[in-house]
Amino acid sequence: MFKLPRSLRLYVAASTLYAALIFFAVQFIYTIELAQSGIFIARRDNGDLLSSIQVVSFIVWLGISLIAAVVMHRLASALSKAQTAEAGAKTSEEQKDLELGSIFGLSSALAGPLDLEQIGAFFVAAVRGSLPFDMTIALIVYDDVLEAFRTVAADGPRAQDLKDRTYSAVALPAIVRVRVIDHRQSLVISDTSADKDMWKKVSEEMPAVAGARSFAALPLVSRERLVGALMLIGERAGDLTPDRAQMPVIMGQYVAGSIHSALSVKEAEARAERETLVSRIAQRARGSLNPDEILHATVDELAKVLGVTRAVVATGDSEAKLDVIYEWAAQGVPTVGLGQRDLPVSRLAARLGRSLFVPDVRKDSRFSEPKTAGILAKLGVIAIAATPVRIGGQFAASLAFVHTDRAREWTAEDARLIDSVAQELRGAIAAAEAFEQQRAAVVELERLNRAKSDFVSIVSHEFRTPLTGIQGFSEMMQSEELTIDEMREYAGDINKDAHRLNRMITEMLDLDKMESGRMEIHRESVDLNAIVNEAANRMRPNAPEHPLSLRLDPMVGEVSGDRDKLTQVMANLLSNAVKYSPDGGEIVVSTRVEGSAVHIVVRDHGMGIPKGALETIFERYGRVESLATRHIQGTGLGLPIVRQIVQLHGGAVWVESTVGEGSVFHVTLPRGVTARAEVAEAAS
Amino acid sequence: MSKVVFCEDDPMIRKLVQSALRSSTHDVHIAGDGKEGLDLIARLRPDVVFSDVAMPEMNGFELADAMRARPDLAHIPIVFMTASVQREQIDECFRHGAAGHLAKPFTMAELRARIAQFSKN
Repeated sequence: MFKLPRSLRLYVAASTLYAALIFFAVQFIYTIELAQSGIFIARRDNGDLLSSIQVVSFIVWLGISLIAAVVMHRLASALSKAQTAEAGAKTSEEQKDLELGSIFGLSSALAGPLDLEQIGAFFVAAVRGSLPFDMTIALIVYDDVLEAFRTVAADGPRAQDLKDRTYSAVALPAIVRVRVIDHRQSLVISDTSADKDMWKKVSEEMPAVAGARSFAALPLVSRERLVGALMLIGERAGDLTPDRAQMPVIMGQYVAGSIHSALSVKEAEARAERETLVSRIAQRARGSLNPDEILHATVDELAKVLGVTRAVVATGDSEAKLDVIYEWAAQGVPTVGLGQRDLPVSRLAARLGRSLFVPDVRKDSRFSEPKTAGILAKLGVIAIAATPVRIGGQFAASLAFVHTDRAREWTAEDARLIDSVAQELRGAIAAAEAFEQQRAAVVELERLNRAKSDFVSIVSHEFRTPLTGIQGFSEMMQSEELTIDEMREYAGDINKDAHRLNRMITEMLDLDKMESGRMEIHRESVDLNAIVNEAANRMRPNAPEHPLSLRLDPMVGEVSGDRDKLTQVMANLLSNAVKYSPDGGEIVVSTRVEGSAVHIVVRDHGMGIPKGALETIFERYGRVESLATRHIQGTGLGLPIVRQIVQLHGGAVWVESTVGEGSVFHVTLPRGVTARAEVAEAAS
Repeated sequence: MSKVVFCEDDPMIRKLVQSALRSSTHDVHIAGDGKEGLDLIARLRPDVVFSDVAMPEMNGFELADAMRARPDLAHIPIVFMTASVQREQIDECFRHGAAGHLAKPFTMAELRARIAQFSKN
């Protein structure tokens, strides 16, 4: 059925009404005019004439009105078309202007130094203008510090789900990861229902986009570096097309450079912050040359920076023998206790030779074995970072930073911090140890040097004294009138001094030989009691004021040893006992069997030895130099010789003493030396 | 003739000095350490004192200091006999007011010459 356009019907109705109104108005005017002119037309008589005129004029008016209506309608529709076309042209131009404006606006907004959030906000606002109002826009940026993508700006209905999220590269949907992150290509899905399976997977991997009808992920690349990606989520199929994504892509190019700069600044700041901390620690470490002090200060500082609740330092030769030597704990956190050895995580880190970061030991299969889990639970360990410290290739210590309060995802930043501090620590401790060694070496050298110069003065004094006698007496024998008896006497004195000199030289050379391992001992079976007896008999005439009593155990019998050397030991000990008891006093020598050893004791009632010198008197020139001992002749070599001989025999020598009361020298010698030595020889 | 006091702890050197000076005209007295020496010096007021440095009880330097501290003995010259010929030790002797130094081993001629140097006549 033909249907008139709506506007035409309106015009027809309007013109019909108009025609009718005009008709009745004209009719009315005619009637009045005719009546006034005296013409009365009787309806009945002239009806046909009048009515035919009326009908004709009505039809004429109606036709004119209809024609006007059509013309009006045509005009109106033409006008409307023209208007529509004009308006359309105007809109697309404005849109272009708007987009260009937002690009310029964006680029000028990005001109200044900005942080990532500010850049993100500008970017999202700029992109927003070219996209449907209900599209969700999210900007994710690669944060080098977190080593993950982080949402820096999000806008739109789904923004809440996307805000403040971080995604490690593997946490992003696979297709986004491969296409956008790895290959740096745009991903635009106009209609997510076109590939339901693929979209289902994406939705699972990224729940925030579930139910979206179109989706785009656009890479942001600056100077060859992927700095982030823009994600667009549309609620209607076709909201996103490659064409529609053009504008965001272009804007993305502008913004990528700014993001890159902001990231660089941020990374540099983070690096600077870390370096500041490390250098502070290093400075403190270098300020001290005490390895313990360095360790303690460093660990305290790092524990506080990391915000952990406990830090533990354990040392050991190997990972199996760890021993807690230092720990720091936050207030209210129980300590593990010094000497604690059960440290499963530190031990594993030491064994692997690298740092270990455990977010939650309760969920880590490496520590799920009941015994291990029990130990960790007892120590309250939840999150832990452990790093081994190696010095000179040797495992030296293990540092562990522990959370007893919560689980913790250790970041790459934490790892870098711990590693660089461990590195500093290594250097500082190595330096401190080297210094300590150097210092000890210098101290030892100084000591040796002092001992040497002491020796020079002792030797020069001791040598020159007998030389004075020899020279003086021989001079007198040469130049003076002497009796035969005087001659004999002086010759005897010269002889005595010559012996004294000889003894000193022999002792020096002997000790040199023994200390350098060039002294041989000639083993034979010797009767130790007989040696003691002989030495005592030789001493007696020279020590009339020292009653010498022997308490010899007949069970001692024979031992294997060098007769001459053992005789020298007894002679030295006895002569010391006499020399250092200037006021006389009994000297007691006893022997006894003690298990497989013979124990010889020489006790005097002399001046005694100060506590600090009980060990040093056995060292070369370690003679106690005091006013009291000044007049006592000695080379400072007697006891060192005793010790060397006894040690060559596989025995030991030590002294107990009380100043003013006397000294007790102990010598032990193994009895079965011969047998064992022979076995050893046979075996070799 | 001069009066001489020797302080020496080594018995052999004591004997040597005694023997060497027996035939001389000097009045020789010998002490075994500084303390004994100081007693002798105070009593005898010798013309010269010869002293070893390393001695028990009171060493040579302490003896010299003790003498300087007493107005009646301060003027008596003291000659140190030392085994060391190291410069520092000889300097040390003169810091303690030595009038001379005799290095061991010394000849009898040296000894006599040194005594003569301090003799009154």
